[in-house]
Amino acid sequence: MMQAIKIGLEIHVAIPTKTKLFCACAAYNEQEPNMSVCPICMGFPGSKPMLNAKALEIAKSVANALHSDMAKTVSFERKVYFYPDLPKSFQITQLSNPVSKGGFIELQGQNKVRIRRIQIEEDPAKILREEDYSLIDFNRSGRPLLEIVTEPDISGIEDLKEFMGEMKSILYYLGIDINAELKADVNISGQGERVEVKNVTGMKNMINAALFEIKRQEAARNSGTAISKETRSYDEAKMATMPMREKESDEEYGIIYEPDLGEYSIESIPVLEPVYASRIAKELAAKHSASEKLIMEQIMFDKNALQLINKFAGMYKINTVVSAIEALKKYNKVLDNAKFESLLMAISKNMFVSGKTIEAIEQGKAIEAGPEIDESLIDSAINSMLSENKGLLRDYGGNPKVFNFVIGQIAKKYNASPRYISTRLNILLPKFVAGKED
Amino acid sequence: MNSIEEFYSLDKKPDYAEAFLEDLSELNSRLNAFLNISKISGQNYPFSVKDNICVKNVETTASSKILRAYLPPFNATVVERMLSKNFDFLGKTNMDEFGFGTFGLNSDRVPRNPFNEDYVAGGSSSGAAIATAVLKYHIAIAESTGGSISAPSAFCGVVGFTPTYGAVSRHGLIDYANSLDKIGLMSRSAKDIRHVFDIIKGPDNYDSTCIDIGKRKIPESETQKNTIFLINQINGFLDEDVKSHFSGLVSKLENMGFAIKTIDFSLLDKAIPTYYIISMAEASTNLARYTGFKYGSKNNEFSHDYNSFFTESRSNFGTEAKRRIILGTFVRGASVKSRYYGKALKVRGLLISKMKEILKQGFILSPTMPILTPKIEDANSLTPMQNYGLDILTIPPNLSGFPHVSFPYDYDKGLPMGAQLISDHFNDYSLLDFVENWENAFEYKFKYNLGSV
Repeated sequence: MMQAIKIGLEIHVAIPTKTKLFCACAAYNEQEPNMSVCPICMGFPGSKPMLNAKALEIAKSVANALHSDMAKTVSFERKVYFYPDLPKSFQITQLSNPVSKGGFIELQGQNKVRIRRIQIEEDPAKILREEDYSLIDFNRSGRPLLEIVTEPDISGIEDLKEFMGEMKSILYYLGIDINAELKADVNISGQGERVEVKNVTGMKNMINAALFEIKRQEAARNSGTAISKETRSYDEAKMATMPMREKESDEEYGIIYEPDLGEYSIESIPVLEPVYASRIAKELAAKHSASEKLIMEQIMFDKNALQLINKFAGMYKINTVVSAIEALKKYNKVLDNAKFESLLMAISKNMFVSGKTIEAIEQGKAIEAGPEIDESLIDSAINSMLSENKGLLRDYGGNPKVFNFVIGQIAKKYNASPRYISTRLNILLPKFVAGKED
Repeated sequence: MNSIEEFYSLDKKPDYAEAFLEDLSELNSRLNAFLNISKISGQNYPFSVKDNICVKNVETTASSKILRAYLPPFNATVVERMLSKNFDFLGKTNMDEFGFGTFGLNSDRVPRNPFNEDYVAGGSSSGAAIATAVLKYHIAIAESTGGSISAPSAFCGVVGFTPTYGAVSRHGLIDYANSLDKIGLMSRSAKDIRHVFDIIKGPDNYDSTCIDIGKRKIPESETQKNTIFLINQINGFLDEDVKSHFSGLVSKLENMGFAIKTIDFSLLDKAIPTYYIISMAEASTNLARYTGFKYGSKNNEFSHDYNSFFTESRSNFGTEAKRRIILGTFVRGASVKSRYYGKALKVRGLLISKMKEILKQGFILSPTMPILTPKIEDANSLTPMQNYGLDILTIPPNLSGFPHVSFPYDYDKGLPMGAQLISDHFNDYSLLDFVENWENAFEYKFKYNLGSV
């Protein structure tokens, strides 16, 4: 019997503070190795950790955005193990009193992925492996990391992609760039015991590791091999997971309280307001009967785009605004609001914008208005094309390529933007199909 | 006038030039008080620093081979504050390795009692106590985790003051057990301690457990100031000689107007296992960083693999350090953690609240040590368990973070004896008031007075 796939994640991302988690060293610098270090992040005898309140503020903001139950006080633990990248031979992390517990991220449909806990901890140093020796760079030692642990509620690759997209967007709006540092442990079960793929770096590898693991487990099940509980690593070059030496359980790290930090009340620490870009896209799409997907594409990871849409959505057609933002991104230069409005007007009138048009706008040149496009003309052209080519509907299986020639022809005839036609087509097609069934 | 003021009012300052250093070096070669001695100007009042407290660019090893030749790149906050008030740094004082010991014998250079060199000086702040007992003008920066200030102070006949946990910054203190470690002072008078405590105490940007006790001082009632509790359960642990000397002290205090009361503290014998479990658990994590990798002595080639490199470097720990690493790692292990470490944390909480109930009503007084000063050979032949058991009187206030002071009150065959007074959290000054009062009626005896005019 095929079991449902269950994926749970432990995600580590860098918290973007100016200084490290427990000392005043710059957390991010492009300096030479071992230049942003001090007795604290080098673990020198006599040094004590001093908690960076900004890291708590960001962690608390993330907890708030993920609807997680915030702790009143937090404390820290020592996780002891010997490795050259760990200057104190223990990592200061959180176990019994993390920043928050519980929470969720909403996916499309009714899916929710529950969050188990959110905590902060220090990053070890970086080991640079050369052929016959290794070097250690302590610039990274003591950087703040945020760990987000989910329940195993992700039910497949599509869910995983969507979840990570949502996570990335929520974190982006709180100032955290997931691309800067993303390390994850991916737990996958479905064909037997839980398998953990440790230390997967980056979103692409996470997805590839999960893909590989699902296929491997399916194949094993089909050949009658039992999937046993194990820890695996991911080889980026081979795009495959490999068995790893059994990991020690948490308890075997000999964890004790970190007595140098004590308990911190975090109740008075302010949080940043969360932004749920996908929810905003949904609402805008419904309100303006526009394509949710197109809006999402523009605003998930772009604060400026969201700001422009919020400002101009009431004044112009939302599709016009979205097209303008898209054109602007391709142009790769930021225009001030006045110039952006000129761009919007041009798009409203011309429906076709090139880099040259934007350049002209930027230089303050008046844009020559092209012929007004009658939008109803485009809609009726689409409708008549659909009626005339009933075979198209039969072939339509969600494959947009089928309509490429429809779009191309209309674009040519009316000097209209293919993108705009495609948008209208996406709106009109379901109506057309529904009309036929009536 | 305290002796610091006295020192600055001298018409002619003591001569701290060659002759003094020669005398001190000669005496030190027998008593092993100092691990290193610095030249001082003689214009400023001298202070010594226990070897587990960092002094910039001065070898700081916590008496451990594993830190041999380690030159800290920064000053401990206490050192910084002393230097900023123009005290002169005289040297690093001997101690048990990382503070692990009651008698000072876990040091390569055996510290000896300045009153009789066959006897122990006490530990772990052995050198601090010896230096205080031999130098006329001097104050010692010492440190206590489970009694490391009280024990040597008692055996060397000086005042040893251990403040409330967190009153003095631990920045720059090489950790033994962070939730227990306290920097304190030793001197020949409570007045000097008050003067220097005012300088070194108070919040610090480099130690988040450090607090301002001035702002947290609990108002005392007259009864609290004048009442002294004796714990009934202590009697069973005391040597007969100690008992009889101590009852003499109690009579004197009664005559001075103190109300002496006896009280039960049934948890007393739980203090030792609780202390050793917590302190060893923390110590074993603190000592994990000594891998011979980044500082201290490098006695290995980097071409070894990590595990053998670490293992070989760590063979530099002494026997007691190894014992505490092994026991400390055991008690926090997954399968037994709740039975040892977890339970010890609970008992510690209970001990604190029970002791606090008593301390709300008055001081607690006891001998500092349950035995007379032992001979070095006798102390050396104790088993670890016998040795740990002798900390029965100094552990309770240390485990609970209560301020306490050991003061000399009598002499037995020429060797000093100390009593230990405990007060409530943040009531540190009440202890100094008490000892100053006691000093009016007590005559200190010292065999050496180096540096006197």
